[in-house]
Amino acid sequence: MPANVIPSASVRWHGRTVFQCVDARALLRYAAPVIAVLLWQGACSAGIVSTRLVASPVQVIMTGWGLLRDGTLGANLGVSLARAAAGLAIAVVLGVGLALVSGLSRLGEDIVDAPLQILRTLPALAMVPLFILWFGIGETPKIALVALGATFPVYLNLHKGIRSIDPRLLEMTRTLGLSRMQTIRDVILPGALPDLLVGLRFAVGMSWLMLVVAEQVNAESGIGHMMMEAQDFMRTDIIMVGLVIYGLLGLVSDQVVRLMERAFLSWRPVHGRGQAA
Amino acid sequence: MNAVAMADGMHDVTPSRDGGVAVHGLTRRFGHGPAVLDGLDLTIAPGEFVALLGHSGSGKSTLLRTLAGLDPVHEGTLARPDAVSVVFQDSRLLPWKRVWDNVVLGQAGADRRERAVAVLGEVGLGHRVDAWPLTLSGGEAQRAALARALVREPAFLMLDEPFAALDALARLKMQRLVARLWARHGCAVLLVTHDVDEALMLADRAIVLDHGRIRTDLAIPLDRPRHHADPGFIHLRGALLDALGVHDD
Ligand SMILES: Nc1ncnc2c1ncn2[C@@H]1O[C@H](COP(=O)(O)OP(=O)(O)O)[C@@H](O)[C@H]1O
Ligand SMILES: [Mg+2]
Repeated sequence: MPANVIPSASVRWHGRTVFQCVDARALLRYAAPVIAVLLWQGACSAGIVSTRLVASPVQVIMTGWGLLRDGTLGANLGVSLARAAAGLAIAVVLGVGLALVSGLSRLGEDIVDAPLQILRTLPALAMVPLFILWFGIGETPKIALVALGATFPVYLNLHKGIRSIDPRLLEMTRTLGLSRMQTIRDVILPGALPDLLVGLRFAVGMSWLMLVVAEQVNAESGIGHMMMEAQDFMRTDIIMVGLVIYGLLGLVSDQVVRLMERAFLSWRPVHGRGQAA
Repeated sequence: MNAVAMADGMHDVTPSRDGGVAVHGLTRRFGHGPAVLDGLDLTIAPGEFVALLGHSGSGKSTLLRTLAGLDPVHEGTLARPDAVSVVFQDSRLLPWKRVWDNVVLGQAGADRRERAVAVLGEVGLGHRVDAWPLTLSGGEAQRAALARALVREPAFLMLDEPFAALDALARLKMQRLVARLWARHGCAVLLVTHDVDEALMLADRAIVLDHGRIRTDLAIPLDRPRHHADPGFIHLRGALLDALGVHDD
């Protein structure tokens, strides 16, 4: 049965080359940052870089571990997460609500869209002094700032999604005799969901940005506050722990939205997945 | 122009008593352009299969959209059954609903799924009931669209070049399917096509739209199933091509 041997052998061979390719690429992707960290550590250990200006990776890890053990990190992280979550929740409710009003009715669009398009050209961070005057220095201005920054991406993307529903589909629902409510539920909302999720991803990124600024301008707690306090004592290691935390938060929250996309948009062809930027 | 039409008070779509279609003096323009439909008259008997031909841009889709109630009747009268269905050149399935859910979109009742499965079986799509529309081939998508039209048990079915985007083999299979379904359901059919052979294979009557009116109304009194090589078929083919201004030597 030589005819049997050849295909099975070639399949195995093929499988191995595929694995080797994946291995090599994955290795390269992970190797580059690891090498960078090693070089950084080497430069610090050799005294080429002053550890007063840049803490070494080992130092950052030790400090992070220490802050974790004495509860400082956990407490500040909890405060920051709560602010981001509250602000983002407000933004989603506001953004979705406004987009539905302006996307589903002409009158709503006239009333809602123009003011929002004007407001959106203001850099949200320029509102910081005003927000402090309005809301004081408690939690409110920080949450409000996050909400302000994150509302626009949600609104703009969902509004665009609703407005760009394929008119041929809407025409089809008319020939099928669907009511307005059925059309909204079965056609408009599911059709705009991909855009809403894109907006949500931008909104999450915006939330962290707003939070960093809000917590560094004035705060008694939070990751940003922890970093500003460290600045007073020239503790670059703590500042860098904060940077790492921000990086991880951004990474994790982005993955969460990606998972949501995968769960809600399972109707998309498989090859369309994973190419979102 | 709109104001005039409103003053006329002639935008009536009345339900027809006998289940047939009757159009009288239908005129339609876009903006201030020339009349696309110009005092058009057309009757379709209950259960009759009519093929509508005409050059590109002659107003076939405009007529069909008006019959479907998608475009308003400004001038003229239109009577048609209440239960109508439309299949367009593109399937217009909702990508986020599974095939069966698309078929019974907007339909109420606990037996929605069973009804969808039954009609999908009828169009030869019983194996794709739970598929996502974006995974269907062009022919499968048109079958699903046909199923969606049939599940509503229309008295009048409109098909706007439903096979135009399909390959030759898929088109042939779809034509046979439509012939079978029409024989079983007995609804009146208006099929827009630019394929003379398709019209002669399927229809009781072929009409040609030209300069806003039905200029040719050709009965096709051939027995079914029909064959391209039949002398009667060849004769009618020549007549229809003549009416379309295409002369074969
Ligand atoms: N929405 C519209 N606005 C303006 N002109 C239109 C519109 N729809 C169709 N027309 C015009 O009406 C004419 C007939 O179009 P149509 O009914 O689509 O032709 P057919 O289906 O026979 O190819 C064309 O000249 C086209 O440009
Ligand atoms: Mg057309």
